[in-house]
Amino acid sequence: MILGDFGTSYCKFLDLDAPGAKPAIIATKELPRETRVDLATGHNGKRFADRYVNELIALARGGEALIEEDEYVLLDCGSRDIKFIRYANGKLADMGWNAECGASMGFTIELLERYYELDYTRLRVPEQTFSVTCGVLGMSDIFDAVISGVEVAEAVARFVKGIAINAYRFAGSPAKLYLSGGLCDNPLFVGSFPCQVTALGRFVLLRGLEAEAHHPSPPPVS
Amino acid sequence: MTLDPASSVAILSRFRKIGIIGVPPLEIIRGANEHGLVIHDLDEPLVREDLETASPYLPRVYCAILRTAVVNALHLELDAIYADTGPGKCDCALHTATILAEALPIPVICTKNTDTVACGTPLCQARLPLIDRMLAITAGVKSAAPCQNPPDPCTPTAAFWGVPPRDFSILGLFPDTTHIHGWARCMENKTPADHALEAQFNPEVPTVFFAQSFCAKTALARYLAKKHPHALYLDVDVHTTSSARAKVQAFLELSGVRP
Ligand code: SF4
Repeated sequence: MILGDFGTSYCKFLDLDAPGAKPAIIATKELPRETRVDLATGHNGKRFADRYVNELIALARGGEALIEEDEYVLLDCGSRDIKFIRYANGKLADMGWNAECGASMGFTIELLERYYELDYTRLRVPEQTFSVTCGVLGMSDIFDAVISGVEVAEAVARFVKGIAINAYRFAGSPAKLYLSGGLCDNPLFVGSFPCQVTALGRFVLLRGLEAEAHHPSPPPVS
Repeated sequence: MTLDPASSVAILSRFRKIGIIGVPPLEIIRGANEHGLVIHDLDEPLVREDLETASPYLPRVYCAILRTAVVNALHLELDAIYADTGPGKCDCALHTATILAEALPIPVICTKNTDTVACGTPLCQARLPLIDRMLAITAGVKSAAPCQNPPDPCTPTAAFWGVPPRDFSILGLFPDTTHIHGWARCMENKTPADHALEAQFNPEVPTVFFAQSFCAKTALARYLAKKHPHALYLDVDVHTTSSARAKVQAFLELSGVRP
């Protein structure tokens, strides 16, 4: 059985029939159109599979599989949106999905790295931050700061920190959070959270699909 | 225009087709029924016109139900509009009525529904598709007659709190055993200004607290959702977005609610 997490920028796949196989990643823009999987999630996923699991459910199931505690917040920062689930006493207690005001944050972070030829592994977490609620709107803060004499790298780092703080507030400002998504590999982003962060990587939703794969198919959604 | 209740009823005999915004007092609906008037509930999408046609009159960032009411009022041939602008509706409706009164050549009569006689809420507690029950509740505002053959109550497995949404499609995600709370329950009870009834919820079942975006009830919905042990707060504007659908789906499934 092949699982697919079809994200805006990257798609992740796992073949459950290949024991010990690692997940594969492919840039969404390079994805062959005829791709088919057995079980899909992600905002592009419905086109590629007969059975689809919505991203919040995949995230929650992934959290259940990977996190041993009963109380936790799991935040997924994607290219296009941010979403979180909070568990208390081993049960769902809160959730959120911000596809509007959280729009394009991850995408913008990646874009800026390439445009300004920066390396996020070399940037320090800045003291200051921008108040960023949207990737697109936050860019104008960068341009304003650069015009006023702030170094490009410092301005971008403030932007990234602003995004991390915005995501942290969206998730309810927890003392500790688990992070999911490609931004787990960005040390500047992870280090910008004002709380303890455990990065789970970009395959949490695939783990959630794996858990769902062992469930019977639900009836079709109306 | 604001008339005393008796005059608001008396002039009904001059009209054949009226529009209503909100839930006007029962005596007005009864009078309209007795005169055989056609009643259009302007809060529902009734005409195939772009919501943008409301934009010269209301800001784009405004309650989608009232923007819909304006589009209906502009495109339906009505003899009068009865807009409830009392404690059972909202200031947004009051301002909309003021604007419509100037924009339209017909009387726009403001009412203040403070009816307190409870007519019961069987539909809110029945085991039937949620969309069908919400349609019946909204249709019920056009009739003064109590619910005929009320269905039996069921044990709830989930609850929907709020106003009837602009886009009913979100209701299709809920199981038939969903109880209705909030203003929609007040509507069925024919007591739209009963704020105590509106604030009631059942802490025993997972509940979606819904409000239209840009409505003052967003504050109440969020406040009650925080008090409820197992709740999802949700606000939706004109159409149910895919993320709103996904949130409801995930909330119900992860709460163990069976479809
Ligand atoms: S949804 Fe809120 S703002 Fe809109 S008409 Fe109803 S009470 Fe007024």
